[in-house]
Order: sequence, then C-alpha cells, then structure tokens
Amino acid sequence: MSRYFIRRTLGAIPLLFGVAVLSFIFMQLAPGGPDALFGRLPRMTDERLAQMRANLGLDDPMIVQFGKWLGNLLTGDLGTSYVQHRPVWHVIWDVFPNTVYLVMAGLFIALILSLLFGVIAAKNPYGLFDNVTAFISYFGLAMPVFWLGLMLQILFAVKLGWLPSAGMHSAGETGVADFLEHLILPAFTIAIGSIATWSRYIRASTIEEINADYVRTARAKGMAEPSILSRHVLRNSLTPFITVVAIDIPLYLTGAVLVETVFSWPGMGRLFFDSLNRRDYPVLMGILMLGAVLIVIGNLVADLIYARLDPRISFE
Amino acid sequence: MIRLTPIPGKPIDPASLSTVDSLVQARIDGRLSRRDLIRRAAQLGFAAPVIGVMLHATSDMVNGAPSPGRNRAIARMQDAPILVEGPTAPEGTQVAGGALVVGTTDEPDTLHPALTQLQGSFDVWGAIVKGLLHWDSAMVMQPELATEFSISDDGLSYTFTLREGVTFHNGDPFTAADVMATVDIINNPDFGTYNVYNLDQVAEMSASDDGLTITLSTAEPYAPFLSLIADGPIFPKAEIDKGLESFTTEYGRAPVGAGPLRFVEWAAQQHILLERFDDYWGDPSILDEIRYMIIPDDNTQLVQLRTGEIQLVGGAGAISALRVDEALEIEGVNVLQHSSQAWIHLDLKHVDFLRMTKVRQALDYATPTQQIIDQLMGGRVLPSIGDVPPGSWAFNPDVEPRPYDPDRAKELLEEAGLTFDGNVWSGPTPTPEKDIDPNTDLGGPVKELAIEIWTQAGESHYDLISQAIAQSWSDIGIKVEVKTEDVSTIWGPEGYQFTDAMTAALFAWYNSNDPDDTWYWHSKWIPETPEGSGGNLPAYFFPYNFQAEIDDLTGRAETETDQEARAELYRQAQALLHEEAAVIFLYWDMVFPAVAENVGGFWPSGFTNLFWNAHQWYVTE
Repeated sequence: MSRYFIRRTLGAIPLLFGVAVLSFIFMQLAPGGPDALFGRLPRMTDERLAQMRANLGLDDPMIVQFGKWLGNLLTGDLGTSYVQHRPVWHVIWDVFPNTVYLVMAGLFIALILSLLFGVIAAKNPYGLFDNVTAFISYFGLAMPVFWLGLMLQILFAVKLGWLPSAGMHSAGETGVADFLEHLILPAFTIAIGSIATWSRYIRASTIEEINADYVRTARAKGMAEPSILSRHVLRNSLTPFITVVAIDIPLYLTGAVLVETVFSWPGMGRLFFDSLNRRDYPVLMGILMLGAVLIVIGNLVADLIYARLDPRISFE
Repeated sequence: MIRLTPIPGKPIDPASLSTVDSLVQARIDGRLSRRDLIRRAAQLGFAAPVIGVMLHATSDMVNGAPSPGRNRAIARMQDAPILVEGPTAPEGTQVAGGALVVGTTDEPDTLHPALTQLQGSFDVWGAIVKGLLHWDSAMVMQPELATEFSISDDGLSYTFTLREGVTFHNGDPFTAADVMATVDIINNPDFGTYNVYNLDQVAEMSASDDGLTITLSTAEPYAPFLSLIADGPIFPKAEIDKGLESFTTEYGRAPVGAGPLRFVEWAAQQHILLERFDDYWGDPSILDEIRYMIIPDDNTQLVQLRTGEIQLVGGAGAISALRVDEALEIEGVNVLQHSSQAWIHLDLKHVDFLRMTKVRQALDYATPTQQIIDQLMGGRVLPSIGDVPPGSWAFNPDVEPRPYDPDRAKELLEEAGLTFDGNVWSGPTPTPEKDIDPNTDLGGPVKELAIEIWTQAGESHYDLISQAIAQSWSDIGIKVEVKTEDVSTIWGPEGYQFTDAMTAALFAWYNSNDPDDTWYWHSKWIPETPEGSGGNLPAYFFPYNFQAEIDDLTGRAETETDQEARAELYRQAQALLHEEAAVIFLYWDMVFPAVAENVGGFWPSGFTNLFWNAHQWYVTE
C-alpha cells in the first residue's frame, strides 16, 4: 500500500510539471497582458512604461520568465500578484478556506440528496417519486445558476426574511451560527447541479445491481430488504460513483465562480475569474497548480477508497 | 501665503496688488474677478505660464465646475433621481456615532494610492490617506495637510505651510520629512508607480529648518501642477522607510495616513473596515465605523439595498443607468444623480475608408444615437457632441449632433466614391500612405466596406449599444461584425487599434480636472509601437486627415493661459472634431449613487473620490 502511495506521488511530479508548462504557455498565448492598460494611462511615457515592465519582469523572454517562476516555486515562493502587489500565497490563502467550506457544504447536501433520490427512485423506477425527483433535479440543472441564486435570494431574504441574501458574515458578526446562515443558500445552489447528475447515476447503477443474481439469492435466503440494500446493493453500486465524485470535487473548487459572484462568497472562483481578466499571471499559475495538485490528490484518495470497498482491487 | 478658506470682502482695486500671492488670495476671497486677475497679472509682466499656475491655484482652471449650462442640460433629463447639489440632509435627530455599510461591485486591487488602477480604491483611500490639499464636490480646492501655500513670481516654486499638530495613524507627527519622502518614493524608478500625481514634475525641493514649510519647484511653469497635487497622498516616512518590498506589498493592504478614518481590516472579497481616527486634526468622524462591503453582482447589490444590509452605494459601486428604475422602487432609499467625466464613444481606426471624412460622417448619420440614449439607456445619460462636457467653460454650445438619417448616410457613401451592389458597399480606398489627402487620393485597392465593432466583455449596456449600432449600419448595407473581448485583449498589442481590419471600438475615456485633450488627438501621443504608450490610437497607422489642424488647436490650447482664448480654441476643436466625425460621440455617463433616507452629509460628485468627506456622514433616528 505505502509503495503504491509513494509510486503515485512520484508519478505526479512530471504530470504537474507538464501542467505548469502548458498553463504557462497557454496563458502567454492569450492576447494582451497584465501591462495592456499601462500604455493607455494618461501621460504615460515610454520610459516609465519600460521601467514598469522591467520591475514586473515582463520584459524577459518567456522561457526566462518561466525559469524564474519555476526556480521560485522550488523554494516555496509562488511570486507576487501583479494586481494586488502582495505574495500569491497570501492572495490564494485568503480565500481558499472559504471555497473549501462552500464546497464541503455543497458536497454534503449533494451527496445526501442524490443518494436519497437515487436509491428511492431505483426501488420503484418510473414511479411517482422517480418522476418527481427527476423533474426537480433536471429543473435545477437546467436553471442558470445566477437566476436560481437570485430567485432564492428574493424568496428567502427579501420576501420571507429567513436568511441573509449574500456574503459570508453579517456586518460585524463572526459567529458560527451567522456563518452557517449565510452558507445555506450558496451551498444549496452549488449542490443542485450535482444532485441531478449524481442521483441519476446512482439510480442507474442501483437498478442494475438490484436485479443482479446475488440480490435474488440474498432475498431467497430471507435477508431483510434494508440490509440487502445497504450491505449488498449500495456497496456495489457506489464504488464507481466514488470516482465520479472524486473527479467533480476539484471542479467545484475552481468552478464555483457564478455561485460565488451571485452570493458575494469570497472564494477561488471569483479570484480566478478576476485574475484571468487582468492577466495576473502569478496568481493564475498559483491557482492552476493548486487545482492540479488537488485533482491528483482527489484521484489518489478515490483509488485508495476503491481498494477498501472492493477487495478484488489490490495495489500490492 | 495663500489661505484657501475665503474671507469675503469688498472688491479690491487690482492696481493695489502686485504679487502672485496677493492676486490669488484676492481671487479666492471673491474680491477680484478672474478677468481682472489675468489682466493685472499681464500688466505686471507675469509670463503666460505663470498666470496659468495662478488660475489653477484659484480653482478657476477646472473642467466641469458646476455652472448654469450644466444644470440646464441635466434638468432636461428625467427627474426621478435626485440631483446632487450638496450634502444630504435628512430630517430627524442626528445619532452620535453609529456605523454605515457601503456596498461596491468592484473590489479594490490594493489601497496603495500609488499602485492602484481601480476607482474603488481611490474611493476608499480618500478617507485614510490625505494630501497637502484636496478637491471637494463643488470642485473647489481645500486645505488639508497644508494650511496655506504661496507661488513664486516666476511660477516655478510652491511653498506650502504645513499644518501643525497633525498625527498619522501610526502615531508619528506629520512634518516636511514626510512630504519629501513621498516625493522621493514616487520618483524612485525601482518603485515603478502608476500614479505620480504630478510629483514627477518636482525638480527641486527644500524644507525650512523648523520643518513647517516645504518648497517644491518645477523645472518649467506647469499650470496643472496643483490640480493633481490636490488628488495625491502624503505617506508617513516611517512606512516608506520600512523598505521598498514592504511599501509595495504590505502598505497597500493596510494603508497608514493622516485622514479622519483609520484602516482596520480587509477581509479579501468580503469587506474593508474603517473606523474613526480620534486624533484627526479637524472635526473627527461622526460615524464610529464605515464598512465597505464587496458585492460583485449588481442584482445582489439591489437585493441588499432592499433588505437594508447595505445603506449606501456610489463611486465605483454606483447603480448602473440601466437599473435606476429598479433602484427607485426601493423604499427608504434615495437614488441620487451627478455628472461624470466619462464620455462614451465609438473610436474609428483611421485606415482604408475610415480615413475619409464622408464615410465617417455617413457612419455618424447611420448611428441612432438619440434612440440609444432614450431607449437603451432610459434617457439617463447626456448626449455628447465632443470631448468637453456640457456646462464646462470650454463647451461649444453651437455644435448640433447629426440626426439619425440612413438616406443621408447612403448619399454620403456614394459621394465618397462607393457603390452598392445590393449586397455590399465597395470602392477604391485611399492610397495607403501617410502624407496624402485620403479624401481625394484614392489610389488604394478596391475593398468592401466591412467594419468590426469591438466592445468590452462584461458590460451589458455596451453589448446592447454595439448590437444596436451594428444593426443600423447593416440596414444600409455595411457589413458589420461585433466582437466582444476582455479589457486586456482590447488594450493589448492584439487590440483593435493594431489589426489591419477597419475597426470601431466602443469605450469611455475619462477626463481629468482640465480640458487638455492632447492625449486623445495630438500626434505626439500616437503610440510608436503596439507596446508603446499613447492615447491617440485611431491614428496609429495613418494620421487623421485633419491632424495638422487638431495638433495646432489642442497644442495651442494646452499652453494658452487666457481662459477665454483657451475656451475659443477648444470650441474650435469641438467643431472640427464634429465636422470630421473623428470618432462617433455618443453620450456622457451619469453616476447614480443610492443612499438610505436617514443618511446625512453624503455629498458625492464626479470631481473627487467617494469618501472625501466620509467623516461628515451621519445617520439620523
């Protein structure tokens, strides 16, 4: 097991290097740059422009810029943001935990509801419950996030006044209860897309397992239905589902930009989007590398869980 | 010494005045007319640039100061939002202390006055870091860290008397050393600031031994010197002395100044918190704290105004013209309105057919400007005919906008030598050389009239406007393609100005405190390369066909110090730009702040930052 772990970790290094090289090249290929607007600032002279480019290291050839970035990375330095003028590590760390909270809450809601919806629907395919939950989840999937978010805000914050409309804390508050109140709407909004896809996935794989021979055998032995479901069916139908979730998690971390914008949630998605618009290369590289590392870790964890759930899989 | 606070008196005999300071003081006190000041200064033999310096010191040489013309122009608009004419003054009893939550859609990049490029940052640091002087919302210069100043008779040296008993937020007393350190750091090439606030013009400086006065000298008389000084910051020397690394990376996240509000914390993407600085030299802030909440989505912003989670928006976070109607429905919230310095226009890159006057005029006739203003912008912007706002002393009231007239547009295209084959306009283009008359010298290849309209992504009203223009142009047979790009692309070396297609670009230029517009039109500001600096972008490949005339007008206006003569030059320039349809002028933006009914002292304008008088804001019961 540990040899497998080490092998996978070492194998990730060339992968991450490749990601770094490609990210850097693609970023530089995008038109414009962080200095695009400098020359349009009133009364900017060519001399001052050249000095500003030199200070940011933008006058170096691309390969030199990459070399410097990589050298700094090896010493644990992700560089300095061109826009915020402070270390990239600080820029990312300021918002990364918030995105983790949002994603964890979203995942939690999505997992619970999609399991519930998927399994119950599979027990009675094309029944009333199946059709209703299918309708709800596809409706949620089809609604644009910014519209759905706004409707939830209007309903729960303006009309009913039950929940705060946006942000992570009320002005001056830092308590956990206040934080959780703010978390509900964005977490639900971010979850709804996954509920649709995941519940359909679980439904399909559960239907497949529920008709398998070993289930009929279990029933024939007189085993109680709930334990057939939890000990046999789910164990088999959930194994491939682990991979689906593991692949989705990193997407959550970087792809929550719309939810974060609508709900003023301070997170990575907004940071990525803003940095992209302003061509803040050091921050973009930092986020992309963090995303790549998370994907590698997510897949590794998924494989390890796989092995635990399915005795046929062994890494030794 | 000059006091900026006027002590009004009877008119004074100009002949009794003989120094720069006495003339400026008499003008500030309202005892001397602008015209008499100029006449007397000329009699005394002051050089023209020196008179220019004096007019800046008296706040006479400013663009867009409130005037009857401007108010009339604004009165023509729908009257639903409240026109800002002074601080808000709600009924009810003023609460001592209290807190206010201000909402914005743009998070500041940094609060470093020298490194930020975003309006929202200027809005906020305006309450934290103050300079020697500041502008108020009536566009009048006011004393801040300097109590008085004098200008030498050669117009080169400015001596400021520094206010005594001023303390920075870090506890350090304010002295001349802070001013000198600020000038030095701004001019330090390794620091590489974007915003120099005219301090790059300082050739020499010296402080008195007691540290209570400081003299800044320019190499040449430089008229706008004080205008930007009044926008600029003074940093505490101790912060600069922490080193370039710290001053660049840390100061902008936790600025220290001598303003009435003190920086407390900045939670990334959430809020910036300011609190009253008790040792402020003047009247301390009435509010205990101001929280600047970052709400990126403008739907959410309106929702939070409705729920009362935020009580004020303005400046970078003001309500967009397209959403004013929604904001007006919110109970307990007043929507305000003031002018801005932003003119929205369609740049026309001067290549091929776009070098020809008649083709550009045709495009202007084919553009339904008034419909765009009325229908897309809800009538909440001011039509523009040039780059000087209505109401400014340099505005030309005689220029009439071209009406929407597609038939006239087609005639003009035919007169320009193009023919329409039922599908597309085509004809010979001007000879692709710089020194020709593109209106007559048509030795270039035969081409089709096909234009790309570039516009900025993420600005929904720009999308609507460019689509409307594209549709109108297509209606008369011009091939049009709309391209939506992000800011970095548009202004980078691959931007619309540097491609070989005929391009138009929809965007806003922002004027400053002076009508000087050489940056937009003069040949000295044509970028030398796509990576180079300069604001005259349409003339990058080929100069304007009227380049010599516009160089002459704007160049003379830049140095002319007689305001009436200067105004005449700008009026001629506006007439020329309109006649030539140099670009398609669309409208002047208006700004719509919104504020809860019980907030007083709030006085926003397009002339200064949002928080300039935040210490005078209060709430009532």
